[in-house]
Amino acid sequence: MRDYEVVYIFKSALGTEDIDARLQRYHEKILAAEGSEITAVEHWGKRQLAYPIDRNENGYYVVAQFSTEPGALPEFERLLKLDDELLRHLVVLSEGELAVPISLGDDDEDDDRRRGKRGDDNDDEAKVAAVDDTDADEADEADDEADEADDEADEADEADDEVEEEEEDDTGAESDEGTDEEDKD
Amino acid sequence: MGYRKVCRFCEKSVARIDYKDAGVLERYLTDRGKILPRRATGNCARHQRQLGTAIKRARYLALVPYIQGYYG
Repeated sequence: MRDYEVVYIFKSALGTEDIDARLQRYHEKILAAEGSEITAVEHWGKRQLAYPIDRNENGYYVVAQFSTEPGALPEFERLLKLDDELLRHLVVLSEGELAVPISLGDDDEDDDRRRGKRGDDNDDEAKVAAVDDTDADEADEADDEADEADDEADEADEADDEVEEEEEDDTGAESDEGTDEEDKD
Repeated sequence: MGYRKVCRFCEKSVARIDYKDAGVLERYLTDRGKILPRRATGNCARHQRQLGTAIKRARYLALVPYIQGYYG
């Protein structure tokens, strides 16, 4: 018996009933194996895809966690592959992750999520700045020679960066990023 | 100096990087959608490995892009 997690991406044109019916059908297949159980089903809802899949710009995401024998999976996945309304699916061993990641909290509306992310942005930028700090530190890591040259360039810039970082200024963080970009080029 | 020697995920005691958490994964992508190298992220070996796997899974699920900002 093993714990698995499956992510389904349905065509967003499907109605809730259609999706529920399909989930029902898939999960029956799992439950057919003795001792199997579905531990969680989480609907993320409609979400914009990062890239179009078969010309679909949106998808309806559902995450389910279940435990079953490994032998039951091939048949289950075959069923998934046959469904044309299912854009993608991914079955992985569950490592005890949450069905809904913290940063995706409310995902009813795409706009909501975007706004939510904006709220975190300051935090993100601070992190990017901190990440940039490490550039010079990591020079002692086994980099190839070309990279070492880059790092040296970074170190040269560090004196400038340092001043800005100590101010812990968002704009400073952004300009740091800018200079790093230029270095790479 | 702004030294940071500890891996960001280790600091938070992340046991497993969640491939579904696009918000976190995006921070480790370049503006072209490439995975940032360890020398840029400062991640430890274990977490950088996990991050790579997580990003690749997330790409398959269209949570993060394979490529970005490229219009043929």
